[in-house]
Formats: sequence, C-alpha cells, structure tokens
Amino acid sequence: MSLTNLILLTGRTINQGVALEGGKVTKENVRAAGICTFDKDDFKKLDCIAGTPVKVTTDFGEVMVYSTITEEGPHPGIIFIPMGPWSNQVVNPDTQGCGTPTYKGMKAKVETVKDGRVLDAIELIGKLKEVQK
Amino acid sequence: MTQKKITTHYDVLCPFCGTLCDDLEVDIADNEIIEMRNSCQIGTKKFFSSNPSGHRYLKPQIKEKGTFRDATWDEALDKAADILIKAKRPLLYGFSSTECEAQGVGAELAEYLRAILDNTASVCHGPSLLAIQDVGAPLSTLGEYKNRADLVIFWGSNPVHAHPRHLSRYSDYVRGYFRKDGRNDRYIVVVDPRNTHTAQIADLYIKVNPNEDYELLNAIRAVLRGVELDAKEVSGVPMEDIKKLVDILKKCHFGVIFFGMGLTQTISHHRNIDSAICLVRELNDHTKFLLTPMRGHYNVAGANQVFTWNTGYAYSIDFSREYARYNPGEFSSVDLLMNDEVDATLIVASDPASNFPAGAVRNMFKHPIIAIEPHHTPTSVYADVILPPAFAGIECEGTAYRMDKVPLRLRKVKDAPVDCLPDKEILERLLEKVKAKEGK
Repeated sequence: MSLTNLILLTGRTINQGVALEGGKVTKENVRAAGICTFDKDDFKKLDCIAGTPVKVTTDFGEVMVYSTITEEGPHPGIIFIPMGPWSNQVVNPDTQGCGTPTYKGMKAKVETVKDGRVLDAIELIGKLKEVQK
Repeated sequence: MTQKKITTHYDVLCPFCGTLCDDLEVDIADNEIIEMRNSCQIGTKKFFSSNPSGHRYLKPQIKEKGTFRDATWDEALDKAADILIKAKRPLLYGFSSTECEAQGVGAELAEYLRAILDNTASVCHGPSLLAIQDVGAPLSTLGEYKNRADLVIFWGSNPVHAHPRHLSRYSDYVRGYFRKDGRNDRYIVVVDPRNTHTAQIADLYIKVNPNEDYELLNAIRAVLRGVELDAKEVSGVPMEDIKKLVDILKKCHFGVIFFGMGLTQTISHHRNIDSAICLVRELNDHTKFLLTPMRGHYNVAGANQVFTWNTGYAYSIDFSREYARYNPGEFSSVDLLMNDEVDATLIVASDPASNFPAGAVRNMFKHPIIAIEPHHTPTSVYADVILPPAFAGIECEGTAYRMDKVPLRLRKVKDAPVDCLPDKEILERLLEKVKAKEGK
C-alpha cells in the first residue's frame, strides 16, 4: 500500500539522542533513528503491522525505514523521521541563502515494502561514498 | 573479593545539550564511570560512552588502501598537516561539542590555513543569529525565567526530547523566587505541528500547519495591534484561538518564548525569528516579555562567542583572502559542499556525514577528511586520518557557554586513555606541524 501528499518533519527524539551517544554504528541507532512515525489513521490506510519497512520518497531522494504509529499525535498528513543519516537522505538541502538546509516540511510519499531492508548507518552513508568510484 | 574504591564527584557539568546541567553526581571506580545521578537519559549515556568500548578509537588511525592502521601521533599529525596544506579550500567544521579553548585554537588554525571556519550553528540556530543581527534580541539568563516567568511558550521546540531537564530546572516544574508553586504558577503554551510530548503536558497547545509559522507570528502581531483580520483561520489556527492567545500574552506578568528548530529549519528560516523577536518587542508595550533560542550542542553558544571575539563573526567565516569574511549562504558548510567547493575537511567533535543532507555528504566524501572524533561514526569510518581526543567535560577541563550565554567551567572526572589527547592540544600540535612544514 502507499500514501501520497504527506508532509515529512524531522527532529530530535530522546531515543535517538540516547542511541547516538551509545554508538552510532549500533543496531540501537537503527531502531531509534531509522524509523518513520505515522498518524494512527494514516497508518491504518497503509494496511501493515508496525515495524514493516517503508520507502519514503521526496523530491530530494528516497530511503527505507521502519514504520510505526506516533505517540505524539494526532497529526494526520504528517510523518516524522528522527534527525540522522536516514532522514538526511530525503531532506531539502536548499538553504535559501541562510546556510541552514530546510530539514522540515518536505512533500513525501510512502509505500510499504514488506521484504525491504533497512540499512544501518554505516551502510547507508557508505552508499554516498560508493557513488564516487 | 576485594571492594573497588568508589570516588564520587559532585556538581559535575553535563556536556550534552545547551541546558548544560551543573548538578550531576558521578561515581568512578578504576577510572570507569559506574553510576550517574541527576543526569537525563542522554547525558547518562554520554558519560558511560567514555568507558572502554569496542567503538572508541584509542590510537591515531591512518587509512591505507581502504583500511585503518594504528599510527603514532607524529605520523597522523604529519599526514593531517599534508592534507590541509595541499588543499586549496579546506573546511574546518564542528567545534560545538568541545570546549572554548580548543575553539580558539581552531580559529587560529583556520586563519593560518586561509580556510573556511564553521560550526554547527550553520545547520541549526544560524538563522537565529542572522535575525539577532538584523533586529537585536531581548534575551535573559535562565535563572530570571525560573524565578519570574509565569507564561512560558515553546515554539517549534520539544524539550521533553531535546533538552530533557530544561523543564525541571528552568521553565516548568521548578519552584522560583516569585513562582513558589512551581508548575501551578506557570502557564505553558506549545506551538507545534505535532502534538509533541511537551504539548501533551502544556496548558494550551496550538497546532500550526508545517512551514506556516511566519504567517501565524504576523497574524498574532496584527491582532496584538488591534487589527481585525479578514480570515477565519491563519496557518490552520482558528481566529478565536489567536485572539485567546493574544489575550493570554498581554495579561501575563513575565513571559518568555523558547524557540527551536521548528522555526529555524523550516521555510522562511531567519524571517521566522525576525518576526518572533518583533512580536516580543511589541509585547513589551503591554508587559514584560523575552525570548531565548533552545541551543542544541552544549557549547554551540561558546563556539559562536569564541569565533566572534577572534574573527568578528559567529559562523560561516572565510579566510581565503587572509582576512575574515562572513556570508552565510556562501561560506556556510552545506552551501559550500553542495557547490562542491571544498577539497579537504577537518571535522572537530561533529558528525556531518550523519547530519548534513545526502548531497553535501556525497561531495564531502570526494576529498580527504580528517576527524578529531572519539567514536566510530559515519564520518570517522569514511575519514582518512582519525585523531582520538579526550572527552571535554569528562576527561579534561574547559569552558562552555550555556544556551543563555553564561560561561561555566567543565569538570574532569576521569583520565582519558593514554593515547587520547584534549582537543586543544591536538589542534595546537596540528598548527605547529603545519607551521613547521611551511618553514615558519
């Protein structure tokens, strides 16, 4: 199933903060930051169980993350990925001349990929290095 | 079984977020942290991460044929100096998670190398600095808010997650001199597109549409001046709610707006902050009102201070013409990297590979990277030289500036591993090396 016309927000979560201090190369970091939270009703439309990998696509890229229902809702039409390597694959790098990229408020679409694989931080960032070769 | 001798350190500062809590208690045995009290989850984890682990660098590393090998400090600094001297447009980035003395040496190194000097404010509260330069800012220290504020607004910030002890130390639950009943003496308002955990414990939650904070701020300013707006709602907020909010703003004795990334990282960036500052200025016609940015890294405010008194500018500084020039949007790290201008990067206490947009990281990876970094991170793993530091605030002393620009002295509670040096010493030795190679 898929959803379109969503707005993607990013930001700090306490789990992501704990995980990055505990080790950015750990599985804990993937579970904390490689995750997309949905409004309860939006998630129903996806017709999958929490934890199913989803592909999030914006005008700036795409990334595979786990899905779950938000604790900070309701926020219909809005999805949230914690700040970190996963969200940064799909954020808007345009700084509008002020130096700070537009990390929040991108238009996004989401589709479930039942056998999708969520990469860990090193693999994910490694793909940016591979492109060079 | 012999009992380990436990030493307890009191009033230790936490080197994680801008709240810079200064009441931590740390138990140490055999130079390892065994227990923490008073710290939040993230702070606790940071202290424990300084203990020996599989993902801490204990010796300098040089990458050869794609794999790291242990190196001596001399070798590693030699390689790092070569990279920086050879580069035409090197970038020195990070600095916000280290102490002020190291930041000062970083500024000196950047000037010597004719490099670009930038700190993490560039991707965080840079727009706040731009707005403050445009229209000034009515700021205060956190103690004033704690003792006096009876209206606290969190706009685009979620302290329950990002500054976990801010609410209990300064802004919500704490008892203040004129706010003796703590939480009951304060009215909390949260403006955010999501019903965040902070919003869930607030007295009033205003749900604003993403990217439309600017419109809402200006609607509030208009209503405050008595203008009747011809609209049923602005930015998704019904007009009655805006009028109710304005009434609350005018009636308080002492109000404060704490604002975060929800204003700086959305469309209109620094114009959002401009408008918030103007709103606070206009509110002072009715009552006492102030605002303060919720700074992220524990010493990002210090990085801005140190760079300003060394170069005249807080971030995005270019030394290529041998004098400091400042132009966010041109000399800011993400813009430089997106334009593929940088040909070598020195990262100090930061992880841009995780925190920059993918396109910027891709271009950064095209060229050599030197990382002063204690742990395995997506940046350090793909770096060419790694210089392992001691943790500032845990394994060495230094100065840090809290989010309200109050300088505090970081404490040392344990020794660093033998081959890990303080950031300041690493940068000083690197600067000496660069000078020696250029025959000066």
